[in-house]
Amino acid sequence: MSTGPEITILYFAGASTATKLTFERLQLPSAEPQPLSSLSTLLVERHPQSGLEAILRTCQWSVDAEMVEDVETVFLKGGEEVAVIPPVSGG
Amino acid sequence: MSIPLSASVDARHGTELGVAVLTHQPLNNQEIVASVADDGAGATAVFIGTTRNSFKGKVVTKLEYQAYSKLAIKTITDIIAAAHANVSSAPLTAHTHTPLQASVFSGPRDEDSTTSTSAFRPQRLIRIAVHHRLGTVPVGEPSIVIAVSSPHRKESFVACEMVLEEVKKKAQIWKREYYAGEKEDEAEWKANA
Repeated sequence: MSTGPEITILYFAGASTATKLTFERLQLPSAEPQPLSSLSTLLVERHPQSGLEAILRTCQWSVDAEMVEDVETVFLKGGEEVAVIPPVSGG
Repeated sequence: MSIPLSASVDARHGTELGVAVLTHQPLNNQEIVASVADDGAGATAVFIGTTRNSFKGKVVTKLEYQAYSKLAIKTITDIIAAAHANVSSAPLTAHTHTPLQASVFSGPRDEDSTTSTSAFRPQRLIRIAVHHRLGTVPVGEPSIVIAVSSPHRKESFVACEMVLEEVKKKAQIWKREYYAGEKEDEAEWKANA
């Protein structure tokens, strides 16, 4: 049972076409702060057979519009805007 | 917590160093160049990136750009500041010639010149404008326009290329190419790296 607070996930580029979503709300599995490093597994579980797993391996993360340097040091408490950042291709 | 209906929206952030713009509207080269105009500028370097009609033998019909605007605007603003800092501090020795040296003592002064170890630092760049298009961009139209003004030509050339390369490498913007004869939902998201 999911009982934790909610976060918002933003999807761009390949991550968006794989999930067919530009964003979704995700309830964290518990009230304890969740390591950002555990988020990939949660998202892949929600989107099986979508190709998201392979895409996430190429992606970086941002939390509240700041790029994350080290996923091991970031914990999600609820309320955050987390974005999946695929390799960029502007210009 | 508000629901982000779309994170890829028009955005603009200006500082005294320049401006970063993301827009769904066609880019107006002349207006962008005019936005960096200054009586102290002897040079304006402009880069116009346009959507190309082919990729590895395939016919490109259109391109689509998407951004995480809130973050991309911050990234581009940081790149503009870094270009100012870089060009102002680095000696452009490789191609420096006498007139450039002379500019050290004739250019307008920086705001923070009093904190510099020398009597004052030259202002080597004046303004940088970076405009990136979002949404569908037909072939042949500009997707990015960068304009850089400076007292002398070398700095604006150097900064313009530096800003372009950094934007392509770091700004949270994505391009999707659509090819003739292929399904739209299979169009490819590109990667610059």
